[in-house]
Amino acid sequence: MRKLYVHPLPVRIWHWINAFGFVLLILSGVQIRYSDVFHVMSFAAAVQTHNVLGGVLIINYFVWLLFYLFTDKIRVYHPELNPAKHFRGSLRQLWYYGYGIFKGQPNPHHVSVYRKFNPLQSMTYQIVMILLVPIQFYTGVLLWDVNRFAASIQMFGGVRVVDTVHVVLFTFFIGFIFIHPYLASLGHTTLAHFKAMITGYEEVEVEDEPGRGEPR
Amino acid sequence: MTAVTRRILTVAAVATAAVLATAPFRTVHAADEGKSGPTLSAEDQTCLACHGQEGMSRTFGKGESVSLHVDGHAFAASVHGPLGCTACHSDIDLSKHPGSERSYATARAFSIAKAGVCSQCHEDKAKLFAGSIHATVLREGNLAAPVCTDCHGAHAVVKGAAEKNIPCRKCHKAIYKAYLQSPHGKALGKPGAMKAPVCADCHRAHDVSPASTSAGLRHACLRCHKDAVQAHQKWLPNTKLHLEVVSCPACHAPTSRKRVDLRLYDLTTKRDVTAKEEHVQLHGSSGIDATGGTPLDSKTLSDLLRGVDRDRAPGRITLVGRLEVRNGVEAHELTDKSKAIRNCVVCHRKGAAPFKDVTISIIGPDGRPIRYQAKPDVLHGPRSVEALSGFYAIGGTRIGVLDVLLALALLAGISAPIAHLVLRRLLRKNRATQQGTDARDK
Repeated sequence: MRKLYVHPLPVRIWHWINAFGFVLLILSGVQIRYSDVFHVMSFAAAVQTHNVLGGVLIINYFVWLLFYLFTDKIRVYHPELNPAKHFRGSLRQLWYYGYGIFKGQPNPHHVSVYRKFNPLQSMTYQIVMILLVPIQFYTGVLLWDVNRFAASIQMFGGVRVVDTVHVVLFTFFIGFIFIHPYLASLGHTTLAHFKAMITGYEEVEVEDEPGRGEPR
Repeated sequence: MTAVTRRILTVAAVATAAVLATAPFRTVHAADEGKSGPTLSAEDQTCLACHGQEGMSRTFGKGESVSLHVDGHAFAASVHGPLGCTACHSDIDLSKHPGSERSYATARAFSIAKAGVCSQCHEDKAKLFAGSIHATVLREGNLAAPVCTDCHGAHAVVKGAAEKNIPCRKCHKAIYKAYLQSPHGKALGKPGAMKAPVCADCHRAHDVSPASTSAGLRHACLRCHKDAVQAHQKWLPNTKLHLEVVSCPACHAPTSRKRVDLRLYDLTTKRDVTAKEEHVQLHGSSGIDATGGTPLDSKTLSDLLRGVDRDRAPGRITLVGRLEVRNGVEAHELTDKSKAIRNCVVCHRKGAAPFKDVTISIIGPDGRPIRYQAKPDVLHGPRSVEALSGFYAIGGTRIGVLDVLLALALLAGISAPIAHLVLRRLLRKNRATQQGTDARDK
């Protein structure tokens, strides 16, 4: 096994602020919405926490955005534009998670500096980071001051429409917050990918180095 | 006694008798002693020769009577003193008076008719009054509603009567009693940084409108409590939205029972929809009888809104919600601000009491809201996204179907990884066994 530096420091900082931030946003969001059945903090404290964390994570998003916009690492987010390749790669990855992993087969994806995401990851992260997270932040800001943003809210059809979008996305992120760490545990050891996101170094098989036997 | 002495005494006696006999007709001075106040003309004094007598009255049907006694002193000292009797009673022909006046069915009808003369000079106030709820109620035949003289007096007219005498309490007794117990009532007449408001300060003196149909009351509170917005912003998220949607007494009369009133609102004209506009009929347009007493449900409400919208093309009708206190007496049971509601979950909780009473309202032809009862679930059914696009209390009126979605997401998010992990563990044992067998076979 050798170590490959795939997660630069800004990415790691962004990732963990995001991870804990989103967990707290979810908890405070659940407290706000479900105060009849959930009692971990007062409603007022939950709103305050949610507002502050929302602001922190919006700033954090720009750390991620500016890092990738101004470095060559943006290549990890380049979508696979060839539909056949994308479909083949996704299916192969899906087959691995749904069947191959149980048979002890190796992961068809090999991590490299400019290709650290498998096709499914790549597609999911593009949708999440470029579409879902910005929409969630935007709807959150609108709800933070309904009066100030009344015109925009009216344009979308009213505060209930904005809130419904925010809640549907929250529902998605709740699923994500369980599934994402689980999938992260499917490295060559359970903690491999977690360690990589702390140290920056992914351990890869020697024969999996870039240019050697990477699936095309 | 000499002839001269007899003559002097006779003159003195006659003079004294003359003075005593004309006592009622002597010049009336203002009440302030030592000052020469307003005087009544000879004409007025003629009127007072009769109308100055106590016990003078006019009788109507059913044995009702109206006192015709006028306190000359009080009239002379009042703002109308300089005008004299004929300014208002120009219809009286002295050659035929009394005996030639119009007849009235009741004492009240007489009083109301006589008050009609006020508008000849006080046009501006009459116009304000004409648009008021008092005038509306009067036109509908409820003669108990006040006219000018009920508040200002008929002869000893008081300027600014609403502030000075608070005549509202004559009819609105229970509300006045509640008001007296409030910080406003307790501060009445006491010195302080701000003058305690009386009824007219919030409800206005002449163009009194139904409390729930205008933003006037909201602005009335903020007119004196100028720092209220800033004070709320220190702890209340979305302060301006709260102040727009929640009436001040809803929190500041903490023991009051609340309701949600959903008012039909035209987004194009930015005004409440009124039933007097010919195309709008809340129950006729969509064939739904909203007056039958059955509370409206989500579907009926959606159909109703679409029907109203169609009738008013082009326009977009929605429902704008407001949290208000259910009745006027409770709305005046204001307390010290330390006792006001600050616990968010009084409202922001599923099943909260304020959301159990829901009404749909439209401004009727007379300016008063016409209310229809609605089922509480109109606030949190899926149709509410369209119908109640403008009213949402986070957590308190959440859409139930989204809870199902969340439960599914949680279930999938937790059970899928667990199932996958369990399967991997189980099959790893099998794989180890199989690999052991394969190695032995080799």
